Amino acid sequence: MRRVAAVKPLTTIVWVFVALVGAVALGMIAFVRGEPVNAVWLVAAAACCYALGYRFYSRFVALRVLELNDQRATPAERLEDGRDYVLTNKWVVFGHHFAAIAGPGPLVGPILAAQFGYLPGTLWIVAGGLLGGCVQDFVTLFCSIRRNGKSLGQMAKEEISETAGWTALLAVLFIMIILIAVIALVVVNALKSSPWGLSTISMIIPIAMLLGIYLRYFRAGRVREASVIGFLLVLGAVIGGRYVAESPTFAHYFTYGGLSLAWIIIIYGFLTSVLPVWLLLAPRDYLATFIKLGTILLLAVGILLAHPQMLLPPLTRFTDGSGPIFAGKVFPFCFITIACGAISGFHSLIASGTTPKLIRKESQARMIGYGGMMMESFVGVMAMVAATVLQPGVYFAINSPAGVVGATAEKAAATISGWGFPVTAQSMSDLASRVGEITLFNRTGGAPSLAVGMAHIFSGTLGMGRLEAIWYHFAIMFEALFILTVLDAGTRVGRFMLQELLGHFWKPLGRTRWYPGVLITSAIIVAAWGYFLIQGVVDPLGGINSLWPLFGISNQLLATIALCVATTILIKMGKKRYAWVTLAPLAWLVAVTMTASCQKIWHPDPRIGFLAQASGLSAQLAAGTIPVAKVAETQHLIFNLRLDAAVTTIFASLVLVILAESGRNWWLHAFGRKTPVLREAPMVLSRLTA
Amino acid sequence: MALLTFIQRIWRFLREVSGDNDYARYLASARENGTAVMTAEQFYLWQLRQKYSRINRCC
Repeated sequence: MRRVAAVKPLTTIVWVFVALVGAVALGMIAFVRGEPVNAVWLVAAAACCYALGYRFYSRFVALRVLELNDQRATPAERLEDGRDYVLTNKWVVFGHHFAAIAGPGPLVGPILAAQFGYLPGTLWIVAGGLLGGCVQDFVTLFCSIRRNGKSLGQMAKEEISETAGWTALLAVLFIMIILIAVIALVVVNALKSSPWGLSTISMIIPIAMLLGIYLRYFRAGRVREASVIGFLLVLGAVIGGRYVAESPTFAHYFTYGGLSLAWIIIIYGFLTSVLPVWLLLAPRDYLATFIKLGTILLLAVGILLAHPQMLLPPLTRFTDGSGPIFAGKVFPFCFITIACGAISGFHSLIASGTTPKLIRKESQARMIGYGGMMMESFVGVMAMVAATVLQPGVYFAINSPAGVVGATAEKAAATISGWGFPVTAQSMSDLASRVGEITLFNRTGGAPSLAVGMAHIFSGTLGMGRLEAIWYHFAIMFEALFILTVLDAGTRVGRFMLQELLGHFWKPLGRTRWYPGVLITSAIIVAAWGYFLIQGVVDPLGGINSLWPLFGISNQLLATIALCVATTILIKMGKKRYAWVTLAPLAWLVAVTMTASCQKIWHPDPRIGFLAQASGLSAQLAAGTIPVAKVAETQHLIFNLRLDAAVTTIFASLVLVILAESGRNWWLHAFGRKTPVLREAPMVLSRLTA
Repeated sequence: MALLTFIQRIWRFLREVSGDNDYARYLASARENGTAVMTAEQFYLWQLRQKYSRINRCC
């Protein structure tokens, strides 16, 4: 066991001070009532917790639980080939890893969960992140490093059972479909009836293609210069979008309702997944990464400079489960609404992907795995701040679906004001004009309210109030851009996975270069997520109410799978006394996701339970109270609700299978009934310094 | 002078993170191992195929 150096008194004093500041800040955000709290307290509370968590908890996991060993050569050193296995500077690996894990999730989830007030979501982001998500990412990364960069599915197959491996693969495919559908819905709601927004995003397609041709034929691999050129062109598109929106001739071509926009995105998603990756997907990904990382940094600086007041209270009346954005109480729905900022199973796929093949020394896994997720968690905190700087009435007016608050601006304003959050139709109209939108009512999904919050923060800094509309559309562009990249990349990966699966039944379909196979499997994947997207768009309660919880449940069920694999490996390593490190977050996730699954399937409140809503609509159909023109639509809605219930059941069942397989293994290994066989790569001494 | 050095280090870091240095590193490794060498264009296309055939972007 490594000897720990003696702690210096000054170090102790510093860390006690950090703990005290953190405690005071937490007290401020948790207990102050009746007056707005400054966002700096929230940021300070989070920052102190992160500092303490990284310094003490991640160090404990690294030294005692995993016993990271820098004497042991990593696969990047042993198998170095300059292509797949590449010895890479730790900060570069950190940059790559963070860029890969930082998706739209930590930006959208906290915005939606803010309906409970800022406190439940913030506490979950910080605590869930430090004790759950960071641990999951770190341990998965370590396990994959010791196994030459094997994927989660492969590790599940080898360390638990063949059944667990196949189950994990199926779970990932299903989760991918729901993920793409829900983020597509976020984009639809961000761009519907928004000629400025849609024209900007449309311009990015030819810009990306131009960059693709530039990189392919003129300057192969020169990503930096292409990204800079692309960024300048994109800025031009954002600014130019105003003129399109104000033009009576052109605005018409870029103004679409939700359903039309959904079809546009479906067709677009199919085309980008079958076109050569160098032409559109890759250059757009470079642009999106460049802009995303810059914007996150800008948001952090903006919050520190503007130090805005948080106008949303720490707790709202909707902790009782009657929330307009999504129905359900804080437990379990706050914890599944915020997945990526706290714990996200998808990260385990990234942590067992390329990253383990780049790491130079095992000890660097702490900074990259634990630290990377910590940064993502901090992004979630910043998104929460952006939600809280809005007047509560404005926040609810943007995020509440018409089916809950009313279809007209006046009705919606009256409903929301009746809840105790004053807002008027006129003030919302003025705000929409200031940010260059037709309307901000019923713009669910979190993206528009995040954009308004970000515009407020950016324009409040350095006196840039005149640029509020530009900042708003820049924020919309930034979110839509990287959501669409995840959508395209996810469709493509889904197609590969489906081809791998179907190739077992008919070999030609498994050939990734056979174009008919590419077209067929891409069409299947796009049809699958497209179906759920359309369902979400036409849902009268707002698609977010049904799809986002489905996404959160499935993502955290994947985290359950990752933690099962991690726990199994820890027990096999002889570390059963430390298995609580992964078992505790696992137990919490099982409680949250199974409760959420049961409630979404069987809860008697039709706003929560899929089957209750379906039964209610069936009863109305039978009683003849549905207008004739709406009968077909209602029947479709009933079918979709039952399908959602079935999908939730399938997810939960897949995870119960893996839990059962894992539990059996833990019992056998922990009590000596089975000799543990660890499938680590052989130990080779490293010849490198750190 | 210190500022210039700092800017140079940031630029070199960006070069690594963006992948601009990947081909040079591949060339060095391929020559050391004596394996057949891809052109810059071939390497770029190969790299893209590898990157986008697996999950590389999170939600």
